[in-house]
Amino acid sequence: MPAAANLVEDLRRALGAEGVRAEPLDQRLFSKDAGVTRGEVVAVTFPRNAVQVSQVVLIAARHGYPIVARGAGTGLAGGAVPSQPAVLIVTTRMDDVVVDEANRTAWVGPGVINLDLSRRTASLGLHFAPDPSSQAACTLGGNVACNSGGPHCLAEGSTVNHVLAVEFVDARGQILTVGGTAPDPAGLDVRSVVVGSEGTLGVVTRILVKLTPNPPAVKTMLLAFSKVSDAAATVSEVIASGIVPAALEMMDQPMVRAVENFVHADLPVAAAAVLLAEVNGHVAAVDAEADVIISVGRRHGATEVRLAADERERLLMWKARKSAFGAIAQIAPDYYLHDTVIPRNRLVEALEEIYAIARRKDLLVMNVIHAGDGNLHPQLVFDGSVPGQLEIVKSAAVEIVEMSIRLGGTLSGEHGIGLEKRDLMSLVFSAVDLDAQARLREAFDQDHRFNPGTVLPAGSRCFDFGRSVAEGAWV
Amino acid sequence: MTVWQTKWAPTPRELAACVECGLCLPHCPTFRLTGDETASPRGRLNAMSAVAAGTLPLDSAFAEVMEFCLQCRACEAACPSLVRFGRVMEGARAEVAAAFPREGRLGRRVAGHWLESPRAVGVATFGAALAQRIGGRHWFPRRLRVGLTGLRRLPLRRRSIRGRDVGAGSDPVATVGLLAGCVMDPWFAAVHEETIGVLVSAGYRVVVPDDQTCCGALAAHDGAADDAARLAATNVQAFAGVDLVVANAAGCSAHLAGYGHVVEAGTELASRAIDATVLVARAIGAGRLPQLPSNGRRAAIQDPCHLRHAQRVVDEPRSILRAAGFEVVEIDPDGLCCGAAGTYSVVRPDTSFELGERKAAQVRAAAVDLVASANPGCEIQLRAHLGSGVRVAHPIEIYAEALHSARDHDLAGSG
Repeated sequence: MPAAANLVEDLRRALGAEGVRAEPLDQRLFSKDAGVTRGEVVAVTFPRNAVQVSQVVLIAARHGYPIVARGAGTGLAGGAVPSQPAVLIVTTRMDDVVVDEANRTAWVGPGVINLDLSRRTASLGLHFAPDPSSQAACTLGGNVACNSGGPHCLAEGSTVNHVLAVEFVDARGQILTVGGTAPDPAGLDVRSVVVGSEGTLGVVTRILVKLTPNPPAVKTMLLAFSKVSDAAATVSEVIASGIVPAALEMMDQPMVRAVENFVHADLPVAAAAVLLAEVNGHVAAVDAEADVIISVGRRHGATEVRLAADERERLLMWKARKSAFGAIAQIAPDYYLHDTVIPRNRLVEALEEIYAIARRKDLLVMNVIHAGDGNLHPQLVFDGSVPGQLEIVKSAAVEIVEMSIRLGGTLSGEHGIGLEKRDLMSLVFSAVDLDAQARLREAFDQDHRFNPGTVLPAGSRCFDFGRSVAEGAWV
Repeated sequence: MTVWQTKWAPTPRELAACVECGLCLPHCPTFRLTGDETASPRGRLNAMSAVAAGTLPLDSAFAEVMEFCLQCRACEAACPSLVRFGRVMEGARAEVAAAFPREGRLGRRVAGHWLESPRAVGVATFGAALAQRIGGRHWFPRRLRVGLTGLRRLPLRRRSIRGRDVGAGSDPVATVGLLAGCVMDPWFAAVHEETIGVLVSAGYRVVVPDDQTCCGALAAHDGAADDAARLAATNVQAFAGVDLVVANAAGCSAHLAGYGHVVEAGTELASRAIDATVLVARAIGAGRLPQLPSNGRRAAIQDPCHLRHAQRVVDEPRSILRAAGFEVVEIDPDGLCCGAAGTYSVVRPDTSFELGERKAAQVRAAAVDLVASANPGCEIQLRAHLGSGVRVAHPIEIYAEALHSARDHDLAGSG
């Protein structure tokens, strides 16, 4: 749809010509993130600071358009995909970093790439702990929106544990700062409400993050198993032994094979499952914990144990894990990367059910799992150009969610609800729960200006005033 | 019904290889500069897919998105789905050229026809050499000025290594055919001489076939795909008799390695193509060339994109510098393009300039007085942006000079 001319004119007046794009090609290329849902974009804006964001918010409101924030577009749940024609606020040009070395904090723009922050602070011996697998590309604004985790959130906690304050623009165009340098801010903890709100409360323009000292020692190892159940039993026993590894990841055989084609890390492609475990801390503790993991693995029949000999091998192991979700196009042109959580001790059952669902639907499934905290990422691999395939994949995804909840787990581990799981929210929340969330959201954004139709399903409000919600958004 | 007009168009299979994960984005120089999806590899592939599907027209907006790409192929090295972005983009550029035959015609004419003619290159070289001597640089348009500033001192008289055949005498390890190249031959004569010398020292017979031509990389990048195919076919013939086809310009060696996409008979030549730095590094590793003791000096390494990203050659130039006695200083962990990018510096001087300044700042931060770069375009760009305080040279040239001075030293010592 062509952008309303005077909307674009007004935006250009505020941001300059190079800060606004609204040609059909721009509308198309910004209408989707890394997931499977496409939305509709009217105009794309690139504000450089909170004042400009505020201007965009007011202009969009005046013209009656909703607003959706977007970083690098690596989200998988459609959190940056408009459910109705919207003005997009792209945060990539808000990428300032101001480090406070003494306090181990940094004020960062939402457009800073996650890994860039850790690289910039490496010389100070610091890093930003949340490390989603897309960390080389995803932005901190997106991490805040989705309360992102990553392999190391097993020990370190997710984004909310590493954000001290957030500056954001609300629906009235006001610039607010919530939280502060104190670990426990006075008053209501609105900061924790904003983190994970998936862009429904406002647009984040600055973030005060906590930086974590790099551990003095790290050991990373691969353990190969000829049965998935052996790998799963190893995970359970490692956690039960009292160790909290820095990360404990699993990949199944199809996944390992796809990844090996890209990284050439000599991965054990014959194994049914591979565990990637990392321990960090003081040298003596690291050695002892690595020994425990290795001996537990061997007791459960590990066919191969490989300890990273140097930093290069360690990084290669992580590259293998973190490129998993992109590596599948060698097998089929499309993938649906899912995100659910199950209790850790039911991993074997869950995987068997996932394989059974895929078999029933005649789909190929590959698994990467944050095994330590039971966060599943089944990837359903398919060819979207085959009519009906996407629908089959989506129905399989719903079955996987239902199974996860039946086993005592939940909807989403770290990708967010977005458009993807909005209509499954009622599987885990009662009408009263949803009403409370809707009322909280409306305290900041009464008119559902920000990311409407995302996260909360239609009718969440007990008194629903019939707001337009996502036509054509799926699930 | 497809909108594509040429046989070079991106194929459905090539485009489907992208799963839109976005891992390429931070590796793309133009995305880094703009933060704009339409300036990213994923955006460009999506634009191609939309045009192929008829969702978007093949219009000037599409052309702009394709032509903003540097074709550095950094995204290719970052792609877990192994999208062959360089090849796909060359196809898209050929389509843009077919759809807009008037725009960019001069550039394609230069890349597709003039560069293959030693006479045409010779005339241009003479003009530039004159300008160097009488100081007429300011007469040239700004887009050519950076290149002129970064050139080595050019000879007024044309000379060429074509037709050379050396090192046949002493039971050579193998016969290598050296690509003379379009501008390497007149503009980088010293690099050619040193390459030949080092390869002969390593035990190779080096021949420079007379009937070879420009590799065609610039033609392919600029959308003159048919010309690129014609040039490749000529080289397939010219290099039929040698064991290895060697180029000492990264852009050329990368293109030779991709000949399979350019011309039907190209796959076989591609299997014999190798960058000179790889061959020399191997010879050093095998003990056929000496490892010189440390000279206590530092040298920075600049990775040409078509060496590092397109061919994944990273260690070899470094090991050559170390063998020459230098401590190697890294300047850029990502190997972001310096902005030279073939004809890009002429076609899009502003973007090229911004990237050139970034790279120069990285070199200055390393506080070195020598930078090694194995590609002529990068060398010119670096010299133009660094000024006279830092020497820029080919790694093989640096190694050869170290060999000469070690030899002189030995002679002086024994004499």
